[in-house]
Amino acid sequence: MSVYQHPYKDVDFVIRHLLEFDAFCQDKGLDEVNADFANVVLSEAAKFAAKNLVEQNQQGDIHPAKLVDGKVVETPGFGEAYRNFVEQGWPSLSAAEEFGGQGLPNLLSVAANEIWQSANMAFALCPMLGQSAIAALENHGSEQLKAQYLEKLISGQWTGTMNLTESAAGTDLAAIKTRAVADEGHYKIFGQKIFITWGDHQMAENIVHLVLARLPDAPAGVKGISLFVVPKYLLDESGNPGIENDVRCLSLEHKMGIHGSPTCVMSYGDNEGAIGYLVGEPHCGLRYMFSMMNHARQGVGVQGLGISERAFQGALEYAAQRVQGSDKSGNSIRIIQFGDVRRMLLMMKSGTEAIRALCYFTGFEDDKKAAATSEQQPAIAAKVAFLTPIVKGWSTELAQELVSLAMQVYGGAGYIEEAGVAQHVRDARILPIYEGTTGIQALDLTLRKTLFDKAAQATLFIEDVQRTVDELDSLDGAGDLQSALSSALDDARAALVWLAKNPQQADSIAANNLQLWGYLLGGWLMAKSSIAAQQQLDQGAGDSEYLNAKKVTCQFYSEHFLVRTKACIASIEAGSDAIMSLSEQQFFSHVN
Amino acid sequence: MKVLVTVKRVIDYNVKVRVKSDNSGVDLSNVKMAMNPFCEIAVEEAIRLKEAGIATEVVVVSLGVKACQEQLRTALALGADRAILVETEQELESLNVAKLLAKIIEEEQPGMVILGKQAIDTDNNQTGQMLAALTGMAQGTFASKIEVQGDKALVTREVDGGLQTIELSMPIIATTDLRLNEPRYASLPNIMKAKRKPLVVKTPEELGVSIKEHTKLIAVTPPPERKGGIKVANVAELVEKLKNEAKVI
Amino acid sequence: MSILVIAEHDNESLKSATLNTVTAALAIGADVSVLVAGSQCQSVAEAVAKISGVTTVLVADNAAYEHQLAENMLPLIVELAAGKTHLLAPATTSGKNIMPGVAALLDVAQISEIIRVESVDVFERPIYAGNAIAKVQSLDAVKVLTVRTTAFDEAAQEGSASIEVVASVCDAGKSRFVSEQVAESERPELTSAKIIISGGRGMGNGENFKILEAVADKLGAAVGASRAAVDAGFVSNDMQVGQTGKIVAPDLYIAVGISGAIQHLAGMKDSKVIVAINKDEEAPIFSIADYGLVADLFEAVPELTELL
Repeated sequence: MSVYQHPYKDVDFVIRHLLEFDAFCQDKGLDEVNADFANVVLSEAAKFAAKNLVEQNQQGDIHPAKLVDGKVVETPGFGEAYRNFVEQGWPSLSAAEEFGGQGLPNLLSVAANEIWQSANMAFALCPMLGQSAIAALENHGSEQLKAQYLEKLISGQWTGTMNLTESAAGTDLAAIKTRAVADEGHYKIFGQKIFITWGDHQMAENIVHLVLARLPDAPAGVKGISLFVVPKYLLDESGNPGIENDVRCLSLEHKMGIHGSPTCVMSYGDNEGAIGYLVGEPHCGLRYMFSMMNHARQGVGVQGLGISERAFQGALEYAAQRVQGSDKSGNSIRIIQFGDVRRMLLMMKSGTEAIRALCYFTGFEDDKKAAATSEQQPAIAAKVAFLTPIVKGWSTELAQELVSLAMQVYGGAGYIEEAGVAQHVRDARILPIYEGTTGIQALDLTLRKTLFDKAAQATLFIEDVQRTVDELDSLDGAGDLQSALSSALDDARAALVWLAKNPQQADSIAANNLQLWGYLLGGWLMAKSSIAAQQQLDQGAGDSEYLNAKKVTCQFYSEHFLVRTKACIASIEAGSDAIMSLSEQQFFSHVN
Repeated sequence: MKVLVTVKRVIDYNVKVRVKSDNSGVDLSNVKMAMNPFCEIAVEEAIRLKEAGIATEVVVVSLGVKACQEQLRTALALGADRAILVETEQELESLNVAKLLAKIIEEEQPGMVILGKQAIDTDNNQTGQMLAALTGMAQGTFASKIEVQGDKALVTREVDGGLQTIELSMPIIATTDLRLNEPRYASLPNIMKAKRKPLVVKTPEELGVSIKEHTKLIAVTPPPERKGGIKVANVAELVEKLKNEAKVI
Repeated sequence: MSILVIAEHDNESLKSATLNTVTAALAIGADVSVLVAGSQCQSVAEAVAKISGVTTVLVADNAAYEHQLAENMLPLIVELAAGKTHLLAPATTSGKNIMPGVAALLDVAQISEIIRVESVDVFERPIYAGNAIAKVQSLDAVKVLTVRTTAFDEAAQEGSASIEVVASVCDAGKSRFVSEQVAESERPELTSAKIIISGGRGMGNGENFKILEAVADKLGAAVGASRAAVDAGFVSNDMQVGQTGKIVAPDLYIAVGISGAIQHLAGMKDSKVIVAINKDEEAPIFSIADYGLVADLFEAVPELTELL
């Protein structure tokens, strides 16, 4: 069984001192919302997770959801946990007050999501997708659809799903074949969707599927796709779930991890056609989906954070207890005393803290955007757009390394399922794949967010980082941190120069470009954390043990992660010559 | 009926207690603090009384440093209506706490006061009983069940060897035992509502109570460490050792 | 020094906790009287008179004291406290119920659950569920103490104290005894059992606790549980041994399928002999166990029953 305790001190530090949440709240006149209040909310969330989700995580792994008589039956215990989750009001945390939400800042939602994802990733996927469905309806749905669906989705009484992928339409959604036909004030949907997370279950009264489909008169390609609401149960006159829609789960995937999360093949319109309702305008579905994509992709980044933290805690506890060998005077040695184990633990600690800083920083930008004037908003939106592929791509790739290190700390015991870390390794592996693979994130960052933007946003970040480099001047003993950050910043500048000169090679170097930016921005936020920690220490405020540990963790990050920008820039500058030079036959030449 | 509940800020029960190297006390700097578990049960009981229509108002009181407001906020989020903090930097012995609470009771005139039977830091198990003696209210300590019947209350108490039920004339003071109830979590809507619930700060001076020192803490030391013994190979060896070496069976 | 000990009894027989308390009292001073307050409790008074070291037995025999309700006991003890330097009671639910009120009425502190007497005014007591020991000096003229009985031996019963009758009667009229429900179990209660066998999460479910009961029946032991087992719903909360449950110190404590979380250790580590049975060799419980057995409990426990 793997343990989990909410890392409340680090979370509080990031919210209070790195992001200076209180100043924001005061500035925006938020009613009694501040870092203290965040602590109250998060400590209750952590208590909820400890009781309802943490131990159930392994149940999900051992007892996956099952398809019984055409219905998906979720992991035993998940239903009760979900009903408690709804009863306690957690799904409504940052949703609009107009529809029964609590209207709290997105930053708190990110911090609460970290808890759910650490506690039970497979379970937490269900409300996470619900948040996307809510956003789709909130931003694009008609007043009638909002009135019918939003309140119950926000309360969690109903859950939501996202239906994009088809067997021949994965990354390329232009290939979607699912049809929608107008029929007496609504539409009939026909087609099959795959990889539908939490596509069916018995935890809630109704499931609201958001489905991408093509209208008969639709133009070809991505501009001909529309978005529909397709409820599992059609609503009766009073708005309650009534007769069953023509929707069913055909089968469940057998996956490497997240066993507790049913991944469904969904069939629409096997008989008379599944009744659906158009969201927004015809043919705009993909645009609507992309408007939510930032949020969903940041959510996956937070999953990477959550699982890294959980795996780290397990490894840490194991390392502090596991005895191997003895010293010269015969005292037994716990493996946390060994240099290499400490290195692995610090990799996990510093990596996770850097991911947390980046996820929270990005999530907080959403709050700044919401509170900004309409003139200020585009600039913040551009910032978030730049950060999103990094949050998603870099955090989830680094999470692979961190959970794998966690297993390494356990040695052979970790490879045995009982230790619990194997589940984290398996569960984590989906993260760089779904919601757009790392390759897609890298292209998004490198092409759309950098080249097409003429590096405007990238340049702004370079200026931000430079300011922190300058600020480190005044911090005693931060010379190494300063030169590491400065050197990594030079690598980012070099990458921009190279990219501007070689735009046609962008797709070959995109992955390294993404990693370079991830390590740089992670390092930037760690350097800012180090400065903030020192300020606290200078004021004699806070927990000096934690703050000094934070400084060491930041230093370690700069020595072990920030330096990786060197490898990235070397690979980028090598360009695509080798990458593109092999013929396809040559790839097979060692076997043919 | 108004119900008064007390909550104490203590070290979180998951935190490993470390004795300071100078033996002056337990190291509480920067450790996680939480509401005393028995106080959580007290708050829960008060809220249930309100939900059952027996209590009309739940007032929660804490005594100590400013940070006790956190625990009061938690109690408000759980469903208490308003909070009182008696703020002082001084260490409060149980008798001082009881005297301060007696003053609050004089002002508030509650029909019932519910306290945790003990705090998991000092483990004193005194305040409720002292408060009963000072106020002249009847006491139902270590309660596993509280039933109000008009001007009487039936309290079932966890006593050594079983349960004892006593009938008390209201107003009463009850202290909670583990089985009284299972405390709830604060729901998000209730946490939101708690933001605006009133929290009043008073001082011992305002209450006219001077804090007197009745005991002096000379030293705090770690308990004698227990050494691990031996591993036995099988059940037979275990039985043999227990019989002949430890002589306990 | 003039010391008064409050006897614990059920009107028929004296509870052994009183014997431990008298030992603590004698460590303070020689002049030890014992109050027996009850109804038709003459046999108890006679038993107390036999406790070695006790000089006087004070008997308050009245229906008002039958159940030692705090409201009635307080005025009696406060009256008898005149001229006394120390008032002691065992830290049982009865002693804990009464003594703090006595202290409050005398405007003095109570020092709870002392485990050692250093001098007439300095005592040691566990705090933080036994994770620390506090040495406390009383600054009051009268010291009100409760005594953790497991920390003191039972006094011998070879004395012959005089018995005096206390005439004063107090019925405050605020409280009334209604009923008592003695634990149905044939087994001893956790806090006074000489042997305890406890199960943890490793038991798997509540049904499996039967195999512990079989051992308990052979040894006359009580059955306990860890918080993990209670939280998992295997058994009820009143079986919980630990920081938030019952604190025990039996002669023999057998921990079965218990990993040894801090909260649990806090509740049982003062046991004289600790046995741990766990299949996980690394379980922290082994670090404090006198005898550790690394084995599957579902094989080891039935075998233990066989061999006892």
